[in-house]
Amino acid sequence: MAEHRLLFSKTGRARYISHLDLMRTFQRAFFRAGIPIKHTEGFNPHAFVSIALPLSVGYSSQCEILEFGLLDGVSEQEVPKRMNAALPEGIVIHKCYKAERPIKALTHLNYILTFDYAAGRPMGAENALKELLSRESLVVEKKSKKAKSGVTQVDLIPLIKKWTVEGRSDTMILDAVLAAQNPGLNPELIRVAFCQHYPQFAPEFVSFHRKEALDAEGKRFR
Amino acid sequence: MNRMLERILPNVQKPARYTGGEYNAVVKKRSQVDTRFALCFPDTYEIGMSNLGCRILYGLMNEQPGLWCERVYAPWGDMEEQMRKEGILLYGLESGDPIGEFDIIGFSLGYEMAYTNVLNMLDLAGLPLRSEQRTDLAPLVVAGGTCCYNPEPLAPFVDFFVLGEGEEVTLEYIELYRKARDEEWTKAELLREASKIPGIYVPSLYDVTYNEDGTLKAITPKDGVPETVTKRIVERMDEAYFPVKTIIPSTEIVHDRVMLELFRGCIRGCRFCQAGYAYRPVRCRDAKQLAEMGKQACLDSGYQEITLSSLSSTDYPGLVDLCDDLLDFCQPRSISLSLPSMRADTFSMNLMQRLQKVRKGGLTFAPEAGTQRLRDAINKNLREEDLLQSCRTAFSGGWNGVKLYFMLGLPTETDEDVLGIADLARKVYFAWKECAPNKARGVRITVSTSWFVPKPHTAFQWEAQIPVEEYQRRVNLLRDALKRDKSITYNWHDPETSYMEAVFSRGDRRLADVLEWAWEHGAKFDSWSEYFDYQRWMDALAACGLNGDFYVHRVREKDEVFPWSVPNVGVSREFLWREREQCYNSVTTPDCRTRCSGCGANKFLSGGVCNG
Repeated sequence: MAEHRLLFSKTGRARYISHLDLMRTFQRAFFRAGIPIKHTEGFNPHAFVSIALPLSVGYSSQCEILEFGLLDGVSEQEVPKRMNAALPEGIVIHKCYKAERPIKALTHLNYILTFDYAAGRPMGAENALKELLSRESLVVEKKSKKAKSGVTQVDLIPLIKKWTVEGRSDTMILDAVLAAQNPGLNPELIRVAFCQHYPQFAPEFVSFHRKEALDAEGKRFR
Repeated sequence: MNRMLERILPNVQKPARYTGGEYNAVVKKRSQVDTRFALCFPDTYEIGMSNLGCRILYGLMNEQPGLWCERVYAPWGDMEEQMRKEGILLYGLESGDPIGEFDIIGFSLGYEMAYTNVLNMLDLAGLPLRSEQRTDLAPLVVAGGTCCYNPEPLAPFVDFFVLGEGEEVTLEYIELYRKARDEEWTKAELLREASKIPGIYVPSLYDVTYNEDGTLKAITPKDGVPETVTKRIVERMDEAYFPVKTIIPSTEIVHDRVMLELFRGCIRGCRFCQAGYAYRPVRCRDAKQLAEMGKQACLDSGYQEITLSSLSSTDYPGLVDLCDDLLDFCQPRSISLSLPSMRADTFSMNLMQRLQKVRKGGLTFAPEAGTQRLRDAINKNLREEDLLQSCRTAFSGGWNGVKLYFMLGLPTETDEDVLGIADLARKVYFAWKECAPNKARGVRITVSTSWFVPKPHTAFQWEAQIPVEEYQRRVNLLRDALKRDKSITYNWHDPETSYMEAVFSRGDRRLADVLEWAWEHGAKFDSWSEYFDYQRWMDALAACGLNGDFYVHRVREKDEVFPWSVPNVGVSREFLWREREQCYNSVTTPDCRTRCSGCGANKFLSGGVCNG
């Protein structure tokens, strides 16, 4: 079914489109772009699209991957141009190509977390974050649908492959490579852990950006 | 995007409602625009985006050079809380700019229970609520939509109301505003000139006096403004603007499909129905043109569904040809066609079966009353046999659910009529037993009743709503009658919302204070059960020295001065009174195609003859 992939970014106002809504948006966009794609079979056929590793609402990304089946009639080179004219503001297709590796080989995601301090970054915030991420283990509570109590404990450290922290005048940037799936790590939990351990350095806001999809060897995944 | 907005959006439900940026949303350069219009819908994004009238006006205005129309919806409670906390003013979705800085703010008023949202949105925009407190020319606050046929409860808040269809008059008053701005008129001068445009009702130019019993003594026009204001219509629908390219939301809305408007008006003349009277005369679009518009709209939007919308779609003369034409286009593309307002007759059912080959959801019919006598009295020309035959056809074709809508408290209703609803529902059940090919799947028959609300400009505008205890007794009567029928589910509306709707639909200007009091005490989104608080409304009425029963439960005198005497929908009061008398005689009035009943709406057409 899914021989083809789109590499796209989701930024600006489009960040707030949820995963399900984004799928619907793509189904309609293919139709209005006049690009014939494969449909599901069965009682109620619909255009098949699948987006790897759903992005949380509000996060931006420059490395999203959508799987679909391109039917004859439109070339891969033509797809981005036509789709970009048919998509809402903030969603941009960079490339359409044939899938070569399975999605399960996408093991890591590189995120950029920007911690905002409008009044200036407090002294010590940078070292505090470094200290936190250098620990042997960093357990936080996470909501869980499976656990009876509704929460489960997760240790972040094994899920963080590497990281760097950079302090600027009124922000602090965390560049981190996190496990993508089975299990993956939502970078929001890093913010939660930081605010729990260092409430005095809690930023006003943290924005999340997905910068790159990686395989187990740290190479770019497409 | 506004940085503060970025910070609050992660904390609210469904943030895509508050961002704009959808496909086909119109973004213009501020430097190339001289007039900014905020098109406000006083309900959520999902509901407001589904409104065809707003889509038409949005498209129409944005085709004009120099004019930029943006959309504004009521933020849900969580978003409002965040906006107020962070000091974010209500903004246009396209630009993110606060609408308090716009030239014109236009509200679409579709139902009375949204009135408190109008006040709340003005407040969120940082504007004073009352027209007299907004002394500058801009922003001008105007309103259109069905409620404007009696807008009195909102009269002190809105600068002027626009009666009828907005395609032409909107551009006319925008031109006038531009002139006023360029020539530096005062607001009073602008309102005075606006009142000369047909269809524009400036409430502050009318004095209202009351009798001791609370009824109106007189509505007196000031400075020679017209005594009545006649609604506007688009005479030739074939030339009317239709938004082929419309905004495709990036999140789900209520009516998420192509809406094709077949015609305006309705030939039927149901005596309770405000839309049926107020949208006269009937004017159709050409079937070929409609088919073309439908195809283009699908190709542009990517929607996989077209709905053929009108007050009574199956009364469209070219319906079969239109459906044939559209089906040829739709079927190979897996696009479905739906008919929302279907009459229960053989013609409609055959058509329905052709349209819905795959998905067989539920069917909905609105017999409105349980017996033939009462249906005749309200002029709902639906025969029991037609309804049952439609159900038989549907059940044989594999449908296994029917919803039946009724009203309780219609004029002349007796217990026999109430119990007639149960009988009718049972007959529908027997029709299923008789016809269903696969009885193992069971059947769902849903009976829903609402509490009849008399509306202005209808044959029942003089009527009282029955007392709430009586409504409750009739609900119980019907509930008991349906108790043993396991396949029939009975739902009834809570009477409290209907009571307040009845207060405002025939209310006068004194209710403005009630609205303001209720809003000050937290009222908003009153059509949502999450927010509606009946006690608050009772307190508001008491605080303003008014009694809701006066508006709700009182039979009006034949020649009483109604609060809605200035707005003229083109249907004469004499005709409506005649229709009321025919109701009490249980005599029906034929539909407009069978015979003209002389309602007066033909005067809107240049030839003076409606052709249906």
